[in-house]
Amino acid sequence: MEMKPRTVGKVAVLAIEGRFDASTAPPVQHWLEQVTANPGARVLVDLSETTFVDSTALATLVSAMKRCQQVQGEFALCGLRRPVLMIFELTRLDKAFNIFVDSDHALAVLSA
Amino acid sequence: MLVSLLSSQYDRIQALAEAWLAQGAQAFGIFERGRALAYWPSGQRLLPADLSAPIHYYDQIVGELRLSGIRHKVAQQRLQADASMIGYILQLEYELQCVTADLVTSQDQQLALYRLTQAMRDLVTIRETLATVVSEGQRMLKGRGGFATYVPTQGGDPLVVQSAETSLNTETIWRLFWQLQTADRPLLLNDSDSDLLRPPGVHNLLLIPIRVRGMVVASLGIMNRAEGFGTPELKLGRAIADQASAQIERILLYQEMVEQARLRSEMDLARRVQTDLLPRTLPEVSGLDIFAYSRPALQVGGDFFDFINLPNHPFIFTIGDVSGKGVSAALLMSMTRTALHSKAQFMPSPTPALVMRQSNEDLYNDFTRIGVFATVFVGQYDAEQRAITYANAGHAPVIYRPYNGRAELLLADNTAIGILPTNHFQNRSLKMAAGDVLVIATDGFSDARNEHDEMFGIERLLIAIDELADRSAREIADALFNVVDRFSAGHPQDDDQTLIVLKGVAP
Repeated sequence: MEMKPRTVGKVAVLAIEGRFDASTAPPVQHWLEQVTANPGARVLVDLSETTFVDSTALATLVSAMKRCQQVQGEFALCGLRRPVLMIFELTRLDKAFNIFVDSDHALAVLSA
Repeated sequence: MLVSLLSSQYDRIQALAEAWLAQGAQAFGIFERGRALAYWPSGQRLLPADLSAPIHYYDQIVGELRLSGIRHKVAQQRLQADASMIGYILQLEYELQCVTADLVTSQDQQLALYRLTQAMRDLVTIRETLATVVSEGQRMLKGRGGFATYVPTQGGDPLVVQSAETSLNTETIWRLFWQLQTADRPLLLNDSDSDLLRPPGVHNLLLIPIRVRGMVVASLGIMNRAEGFGTPELKLGRAIADQASAQIERILLYQEMVEQARLRSEMDLARRVQTDLLPRTLPEVSGLDIFAYSRPALQVGGDFFDFINLPNHPFIFTIGDVSGKGVSAALLMSMTRTALHSKAQFMPSPTPALVMRQSNEDLYNDFTRIGVFATVFVGQYDAEQRAITYANAGHAPVIYRPYNGRAELLLADNTAIGILPTNHFQNRSLKMAAGDVLVIATDGFSDARNEHDEMFGIERLLIAIDELADRSAREIADALFNVVDRFSAGHPQDDDQTLIVLKGVAP
């Protein structure tokens, strides 16, 4: 797993490459905790290069989303590949998250 | 010098004197700085010397032999030979003394090293070890100051220990240590070195690397030795560093063993929480053939299943998976199971959606604080209708296979417990006539991987269930565990694998 954080305008973006699971979640969680601490935080997690997510990874994303809500911020995901999207659909997390097809669409909305 | 030789070899030198007297000499004496140390015949007053021969000791003259009464050339030659022989014996005696002194020193050092090993044997912390090495090293190397450093390789704070007499600032010590690590060999500073090299207060210094598992992780510095540092001190310093290295390695091994034992007992605890809290017997429900089993992974996850089967109460079953691993997942699993159980048991007219909604409200705040969620499936059997009503909070895979149809995946209607503060769960219904099969598994099945990193997936589960549908609930479950085991052969089980199999049978 590799993490590629960047900032686009006011949006903190994290691209996660490879397997995102219990063994690789801690650094992602650490990054998310930092960026979701600011009031009005805008956070985008780019999963276009993510090959697998497990329940610990999902829990990490859910916590970040909840923290964003608490600070009146926005949290979104983008670029989910078919197998990853299926995990979101099976667990009905597609209903809970703001999901965009790619980072361009997501950034257009989050930057507004 | 000659005096000590005379006292140890008096008989032999007297034999020389007697030989000269027998040959006609009037007197024979051995002199140091013009003074007679011994003179024969004894009691004789000193006569003027006719012949003399200097006694050489290395390059200097330390005395002479004098002879009276003979003066021919052959006698002079013989006298000189005697003087040379005495000089040579003097040298041998000196060398013997040196070797003896070296032997004693080396014995002392061995003894000191042995004492050091003994002293360190019972130390269980690296700080104590460093303190002992500094004080013993300072004593053995006759330094007037000393320090030691240690940098843990796996987290933790670096350590500096100084002897009571030393007051270097720690920044200086660390600079010396990094210098040592880069050079990867002992660092020797002597009074003759420029002041630029020597930190303030350091006249001379011997800094020796302490290697553990091939890496320079620590150092021992001894400083301000009156005579400066040379090769013997370097050798002894290295021997002390070797002892320290062995002791640090022992301590690290011990700490690792303790840590492993702690992890093992934590994992055992998690596994016990998980397996001991699950139902031990299968419920007997008219019209249903039921089997359930949970197999925890090495790193225990948060899977559970549960049955509520009481007289005058609908039969309710739950299965779920709390995110996370280890003890925390096991504890949260028991909390979730209990919340669901009490709702299902004590609600006046429970339905799966109601049980789910109330449990979500109960657990939401705690789950949010901890940052977890739980996928849950709750089912309730209606014996009259021969149907199962269920609500599914993000749980997968759930597979239904009607008696005369194909296995199909039932998607959840709602997100997992702990994600939304209020969640409007829906009840769904399934026919459960004879031959209909419902399998609710956890993602430990669908996400199981083989050695090529492929996932077992849902398609393989659907195919297997189609093939197994005519067997009993237990046989279906056993076969599914076998199929997934065969698939993932050679790859360890990453996550708990839990399933409930229900099959409609004639009541």
